[in-house]
Amino acid sequence: MQYLARSPEAEHATTTGLNNRKLLMWAFLGSDAMFFGPLIATHLIYRTESLQGPIEEILNIPVTTISTFVLLMSSLAMVLALAGIQQGKMGTFRFWTAMTALLGMVFIGFQMVEFTEFAKHGLTPRTNLFGSTFLTLTGFHGAHVTVGIIWLWSLFFASFRGKVKQENSLDVEIAGLYWHFVDIVWIVIFGVIYLVGAFGVEDRVLEGAHALAGLGG
Amino acid sequence: MATNIAILRRPLDPTGAWAWITTVDHKKIGVLYGLTAFAFFILGGVEALVMRLQLAQADLNVVSAATFNQMFTMHGTTMIFMVVMPAGAAFFNFLVPLQIGARDVAFPRLNALSYWLFLFGSILMNFSFFTGSAPDMGWFAYAPLTAANFSTSSSVDYWILGLQVMGVGTLAAGFNFVITIINMRAPGMTLMRMPVFTWMTLIVSFLIIFAFPVITVAITLLLFDRMFGTNFYDITAGADPLLWQHLFWVFGHPEVYILILPSMGIVSDILPTFSRKPLFGYVTIVLAGAVIAFLGFGVWAHHMFTVGMGRWATSAFAVATMAIAVPTGVKVFNWLGTMYGGSIQFRTPMLFALGFISLFMLGGLSGVMHAVVPVDLHQQDTYFVVAHFHYVLFGGSIFGLTAATYYWFPKITGRMMSESIGKTHFALMFVGFNLTFFPMHFLGVLGMPRRIYTYAPDMGWSGTNMAVTIGAFVIAVSIAVFLYNMVRSARVGQPAGANPWGAATLEWSIESPPHHYNFAIVPTIRSQHPLWDEEANTVEPPPLPYVDESSIHMPSPSYWPLLLAMGVTLVAGSLLVWQAHAIAGLTMGAASGALALISVYRWVFEPAVATEVAEGAAAHH
Amino acid sequence: MAAQHDLHHEEHTEKHPSPRRYIQIAVVLCVVTLIEFLIFYGNWDSATMTGIILLLSGLKFLLVVGYYMHLKFDNWRFSAFFFFPFIIMISIMVALMALFSNLTR
Repeated sequence: MQYLARSPEAEHATTTGLNNRKLLMWAFLGSDAMFFGPLIATHLIYRTESLQGPIEEILNIPVTTISTFVLLMSSLAMVLALAGIQQGKMGTFRFWTAMTALLGMVFIGFQMVEFTEFAKHGLTPRTNLFGSTFLTLTGFHGAHVTVGIIWLWSLFFASFRGKVKQENSLDVEIAGLYWHFVDIVWIVIFGVIYLVGAFGVEDRVLEGAHALAGLGG
Repeated sequence: MATNIAILRRPLDPTGAWAWITTVDHKKIGVLYGLTAFAFFILGGVEALVMRLQLAQADLNVVSAATFNQMFTMHGTTMIFMVVMPAGAAFFNFLVPLQIGARDVAFPRLNALSYWLFLFGSILMNFSFFTGSAPDMGWFAYAPLTAANFSTSSSVDYWILGLQVMGVGTLAAGFNFVITIINMRAPGMTLMRMPVFTWMTLIVSFLIIFAFPVITVAITLLLFDRMFGTNFYDITAGADPLLWQHLFWVFGHPEVYILILPSMGIVSDILPTFSRKPLFGYVTIVLAGAVIAFLGFGVWAHHMFTVGMGRWATSAFAVATMAIAVPTGVKVFNWLGTMYGGSIQFRTPMLFALGFISLFMLGGLSGVMHAVVPVDLHQQDTYFVVAHFHYVLFGGSIFGLTAATYYWFPKITGRMMSESIGKTHFALMFVGFNLTFFPMHFLGVLGMPRRIYTYAPDMGWSGTNMAVTIGAFVIAVSIAVFLYNMVRSARVGQPAGANPWGAATLEWSIESPPHHYNFAIVPTIRSQHPLWDEEANTVEPPPLPYVDESSIHMPSPSYWPLLLAMGVTLVAGSLLVWQAHAIAGLTMGAASGALALISVYRWVFEPAVATEVAEGAAAHH
Repeated sequence: MAAQHDLHHEEHTEKHPSPRRYIQIAVVLCVVTLIEFLIFYGNWDSATMTGIILLLSGLKFLLVVGYYMHLKFDNWRFSAFFFFPFIIMISIMVALMALFSNLTR
């Protein structure tokens, strides 16, 4: 009998009746919120402090809206995968797990394109405060997504070796909690950093567009 | 176990050193934490003695200014992150499962990982002494002073990376103890029946998981600035010079409570035992601890009154800081109330507990003085501040942890520590402590700045400094006595028995030292003082039913926590190599990253109880 | 042990919403994101726009946390573990931004 990282205590009744690892994941997510908080705060504090180079006008709202859709849909796929394994439907579980991971990979693809575009237009982490804070924040978010993708593929392949089964659907639920957390961090980043941030620079969006056109030509 | 290939077969029943290296037993891990912390205590102490020699008289040249900078930086960093925190962790580990009636912590292998990360992170940081670039910028590493253009050697990188590795371990331990205390309590052990030490461990663990992410961000940004050329702390790129200070102290002030709350818990457990009466105001002591921790997140900027935050911010932080004195005062009154009317026994643990209360109170009082902003403007960065935080960190935390050592040594080793040597130790340490740190108040008021490596003879500080230096060496002698007492007592001390002090809490109900499974039968708790109340209520203890030891499944030892910790530490080290030699650094990073990744996978697919053990037990039935 | 596990499992399937509800939530999330996108190109003053976006983002946040992460149906301790540090963090962020603006001077 083998389970993923099952601690013996998890099989005993716990004091609260809650699973140790699930409680651990929630504690971790609370702690991880304390990690993203200062990164977002640093970005907001430095929003208007850059001395040179492109700032928020460089953000591409339409494209990011699409990548936000992608990440939201991956969350849907994740809950459907969980529902699948909870009902013992391995095919459903595998399909939606692979779908979640693939949508995550598409999101990372969008992010790579975005970062490359920024670099082409002269925005790197070294350029200015906007570049440092924005790329570090979204980069750490991308790193979280990447860890999630590896985790999901691990579950996917482990399921073929009989290590992910209906009776330990909790393993999937915990991975799902992590995945959804990464999604809500993005919801905050998209709202606060992209939309509110770029909105304040409406005029500069136009200037930026001209500048970009100039650079492109 | 199909996945267990020949290399690194799981150590099922290791002996000797391997039993310690692969252990996941919370008691062994606790002892490892304790011994390591004591080793670093001696190292940090030697660093302090070097500073005191240099400052004994005006214009001395014992060490260079540069070495002096390394001494005060590493002394502070060592004492905080490698002594007080892991010494607290030693007692969390050894005691919390015993106090709540559990057989181990919630995640035994994660617990081992925490210890190894702490050890390797500490070694990584101290390794800088051998490369000649020990951290030299003060333990709070203010950026932009620590930016690449001002701190050109790799000293800051060692500090960041060592702290980062230790921080991951600390976070893991924080999660582990939160879950353990919430979820692993024996039947009937309600939250409000837990010993206060376990309560303070819970609060400290929450502080750790909420505060450490912030320092992780602060030092990561600094590392990015130094290694990848970002601009977070670069003033020439428009950065704000206060960003580091704010991020650091948002972590730094909760950290202060991470350091002191365990000792408050220790003292709250020791006083009732030696006053022979229950703790006065248990609920208020617990709540006061929680309130202190919560307020601790709202007072960080009192470390920064001199930077000019404006009168509103300054006033708000001053008021919040003074507010913390209220729950702290509540605790002191509760301790006094516990002793009032009790039949007090002046055993060594009690002496150190009383030392804690008196010295911590002095430190607390000078702390409130710092909350008064106009006064603080004069005290900032003087020896007055040095006196203050040594009264709370040494007079508070270290005295508390020493009390804990005397109190729980019989439980850990099965032998009593010598009372006569212990009392000598207390007398020397108490006198030495006050001779060292009390005169620093005067030095501070006379204007002696902290962190200066020497001073002119006409400043009028020479005599007082000499007294301080003599005091420091008295402390050193007392620590030697302490060490002698521990070594001697572990070998020839009186056998302790289960409950040598006649204490009330659950850990004293089992053998000293405890079996590896702690409780043969998981106890059912009916009161806050299970041992006192049981004794009062029952004529004779009910006979223990026979328990077949092989039916108790304990987590099996594992290599993976150790190897994962190694992998993580080497990844951190590879960044340092990368700075000197790109290809070598990348190779090392890839190799050690692979080691870490393999360790994670092997860990995840390794059952906590080895299949062989589980099957053997099943066959046995 | 197996019995305990089954019990745990049953409780869960009972509490968790159906896939149909998950899809409904996903539709709401997409529509709200689309609204946010349209608002960005609308003609608002900065404060109103910021308020609306924060509100809508908060709504999306709560939907994901409440339904996809099941906090709405799960034990209160999970919510406490998550929201307590979250509230501390928001307070610290607001305080930091105030400290770095000129508001407090």
